[in-house]
Amino acid sequence: MTTISAAQRGAQRERRRMRINATPYLFLLVPLAVYFIWIVFPMLFSVYLSLTNWDGISPIPAPNALSLDNYNRLFTDRDFGVSFGNNVKWMIVFLTVPTTVGLGLAMIFNTDIRGSRWFKISFYAPLILSFVVIGTIWAWIYEPRAGLLNSVIVGVSQLLASIFPFVTPLERGPGWLADRNLALWSIMGAAVWRQCGYVMILYLAGLKNLDPSLIEAARVDGANGWQLFRRVIFPLLGPITTVVIVVSVIDSLRAFDLVQVMTRGGPGGASNVLANFMYIEAFNNYNFGYGASIAVVLLGLSLFIVVPYLYRTVKTELEY
Amino acid sequence: MKKLLNRRFLVLAAVLIAVVVVAGVSAQDSLIRYASNASDEGPRGQDEAMVARWNEQHPDQPIEHSVTDHEAFKQAIRTYLVADPAPDVLTWFAGNRMAFFVDRGLAADLSPLYEREGWYDSYAPGFVALATAGEGQYFVPTSYYWWAMYFRRSIMEANGLTAPATWDELLATCDTLSAAGITPITIGTRAPWTAAAWFDFLNMRINGPEFHINLMLLKESYTDERVVAVFDHWRQLYEHNCFLPDSAAYEWQEALDFMNRGEAAMYLMGDFIRDSVPDEIESDLDFEMFPVINPDMPIGIDAPTDGFFMSAASGNPEGAYDFLAFIGSAEEQQFAADNLGRLPTRMDVDTSGFSEAQQKGIGLVQSADYVAQFYDRDTTPEMAEAGLNAFAEFISDPMNADVTALLESLEADRVRIAAEQAAE
Amino acid sequence: MTDTTYNGQFSPQASGALFQPRRKPLTVRRALLYAGLLILTLIWLLPFFSALLTSVRTMDEISLNGFWRPDLNTLTLENFTQAWEQARVSRYLGNSFVITLPSLFATLFLSSLSAFALARYKFRLALPLYFMFVAGTMLPFQILLLPVFKLANDWKVYNTHWALIIIHTAFQMGFCTMVLRNYMKTIPNDIVEAARVDGCSDFRIYWQIIIPLTLPAMAALATLEFTWIFNDYLWALILVQNDALKPITAGLASLQGQFTTNWPLITAGSLIGVVPTLFVFAFLQRYFIQGLTLGSGK
Repeated sequence: MTTISAAQRGAQRERRRMRINATPYLFLLVPLAVYFIWIVFPMLFSVYLSLTNWDGISPIPAPNALSLDNYNRLFTDRDFGVSFGNNVKWMIVFLTVPTTVGLGLAMIFNTDIRGSRWFKISFYAPLILSFVVIGTIWAWIYEPRAGLLNSVIVGVSQLLASIFPFVTPLERGPGWLADRNLALWSIMGAAVWRQCGYVMILYLAGLKNLDPSLIEAARVDGANGWQLFRRVIFPLLGPITTVVIVVSVIDSLRAFDLVQVMTRGGPGGASNVLANFMYIEAFNNYNFGYGASIAVVLLGLSLFIVVPYLYRTVKTELEY
Repeated sequence: MKKLLNRRFLVLAAVLIAVVVVAGVSAQDSLIRYASNASDEGPRGQDEAMVARWNEQHPDQPIEHSVTDHEAFKQAIRTYLVADPAPDVLTWFAGNRMAFFVDRGLAADLSPLYEREGWYDSYAPGFVALATAGEGQYFVPTSYYWWAMYFRRSIMEANGLTAPATWDELLATCDTLSAAGITPITIGTRAPWTAAAWFDFLNMRINGPEFHINLMLLKESYTDERVVAVFDHWRQLYEHNCFLPDSAAYEWQEALDFMNRGEAAMYLMGDFIRDSVPDEIESDLDFEMFPVINPDMPIGIDAPTDGFFMSAASGNPEGAYDFLAFIGSAEEQQFAADNLGRLPTRMDVDTSGFSEAQQKGIGLVQSADYVAQFYDRDTTPEMAEAGLNAFAEFISDPMNADVTALLESLEADRVRIAAEQAAE
Repeated sequence: MTDTTYNGQFSPQASGALFQPRRKPLTVRRALLYAGLLILTLIWLLPFFSALLTSVRTMDEISLNGFWRPDLNTLTLENFTQAWEQARVSRYLGNSFVITLPSLFATLFLSSLSAFALARYKFRLALPLYFMFVAGTMLPFQILLLPVFKLANDWKVYNTHWALIIIHTAFQMGFCTMVLRNYMKTIPNDIVEAARVDGCSDFRIYWQIIIPLTLPAMAALATLEFTWIFNDYLWALILVQNDALKPITAGLASLQGQFTTNWPLITAGSLIGVVPTLFVFAFLQRYFIQGLTLGSGK
């Protein structure tokens, strides 16, 4: 058919391309509908609410009543400052303790140490508990009078006193969750207990995927254990380490349930984190607009971490 | 040509959409939804017995009875009230906590019910007034109780003490008891409202009920030196080792255990303390009015009123009316008074069979010049949250707490909340 | 609430040891390492021990004897029966399953659809949509609470199990899509191309080729998602008001309200609540290892 013009041919090709491209959208139709309605739209709605003074009950303020008042208030709100600082502390701890312990455990269990299966399960077990249960168990451990921790501390001090006359036995241990200066760290103890196993799993998966020949080559070159780890294994684990860092930061920003169950942010707001503070403002004080602005700050912080990570992934995806 | 998608896929997708979209559950019209906060052991038993009695009498109007943890209920109720279906009948507290919902149109006007049941005559006028906002009544106050200084008679006697009646006696009592190795006053502030009782009573005793209630209404300043004086007195109590250490680790019931075991002597508590005291100790438990500090001031007391209301969005108003009429009846108030020891709000409840404690409690409330509800019921919910937090912060380290900064922060909250209120 | 991870490879049970096949003789160093590990593990298990020991005692006995000197004659299982009956743990557990299982299937099914589209087709929105899902898994979910509550009311699903099923399905979709999409990317193209040449429809490729190959990842995901959805507390608090509909986590919370001073009873209730996740994990562990060998044997 020589009469078909170039333009027509182009349109035909275009049509075919369009038709082919409809397929992925058909697959995506239902999942995306659900996701947009229940996740994306509510999230945007929260951003809108953060610009209002909505109390969650009255009609939602119209777009012409929007203001940045809530954000201005954040700057002067002492409780916001405390919560923010607590999230930062949480992040620092999560970036150091569980990561080190998790990596160490993964390195140990990656060898064929006897009974490693059972050891691993012990460290993994906290992960299957709900935060409600973890919080309950740990609150009881921290109970100042009869809890496990203070029983040990007081007991040990009395034992020492019975051996060494110059030691005065303690009558009671610290208040843990009841102590303004310890409450947050005590909660983090429970969180770290759970997180270590998680990091261990991530690193174990990474170690399993390492190319054994590289390690064998380094070993042949005479690298000893520590050098092998420093120079070969750890650098090879780079991608996993990135993931661990992202996970740690995100999880520390999300901290909520443990605080809610163990102290409800107390004493006197000393152990509040942003997510709790938001929940209290929105659901206890009926300041949903203000609560939403805290959530948006949290969102911003998360994006600050997520976007560079995504950017990295984009680059590898495009190269691939 | 390849097949784009086969039929099976489309059927699956259609079913899924249908499932997600048509997920509603049809409501039963005759059902009465009752949301209750009676999660503590004693009140829960009473609550369940009440519903059981209703079900026996009204088999055609079943109750959907939901009990939510007392603390969680305070936060969840706001979602209940704007939900669809909303619960028809809910437990709640008189005072500002109720007014907050009335102002927002979330509570139904019950004046037709008051009229129908003749409650204007059978309820004590003070309680009808408490239920009134503008022209209508929005609340059914069914019981009240008093706050007082509870103590173990045996422990006090063993140390040659009687219940402290003045500030100096209170401090001396603390000294004697702590020297004897007994915690003078137990307190559990994991939920910090228990600390607010101390603020309420200290403020009323030092500055008088009038100043107190104006502070609650956001009309007085938190940086006022009279408020500073409250914290000075409070700190003195810590200097005299009055309180249980690490109180923030305990719920109020856990703190009570110290008293049940004989390790602590006194407890500033509401009469619901009795729900959690074992029978063998109840006979040893006594209470007196909070000590006088400034003898020139009128005596105020916290005596909160509990009750029920109907949500404005109730889908079954007839059922809700009937159930509320049942709850507010003389028979049910009698049951509640006899089982739990709360005091009735109706004038036609037979008090002759009341326990010694109930009689004494009635006397206590009647002897007071002013009856307040409680900190978190007298002031706005948001101010209450800020206040409770500040109290908790103070008592977590009373010796070093920066009271000036605390009060400045509270004052800033007060000014902002008052301004928001005025704008509404 | 939920954890985030990066791609299809979790291997909590991976036997590892790829590059150290030889069993070393017992040296002093290894013995020390072993002892240290043993101590650390025991410390790690202490909270479980604390919970178990507490759950079979009474509060009075703990007060009397202290934590470390249990009176073996008074040990009792009564806390468990009391939790089961008085705290209605049996009903709450049933609700948890009614909520968790449909959510699990729905989220895995929907995610496999979107993952398939994102992994196997080249189209302009593929990458942006993928990133949307990834970002969704990493955001603080608390921001959604009130809007979702409103939405559940508008859609007339508030105070039904549907509300929880829908929100769990939607919320977990981000994570599942991300994992499955990455996993599907690793399936070699020639299998799919061969099927295409044979005239397979796109849906048959999805249903009869990709899904069977993705099952290992699905099994692993199902384990994780089961624990996450099962352990949710906050959504249950916000979206369900009727006590008869609440899952075990919310039930445990009201148990704490009711028996505040009774740590043994609360602990016993918590332990009962843990059993299903423990059981499911133990059960799925086999699929898990099978899946990993399948994945690495390609």
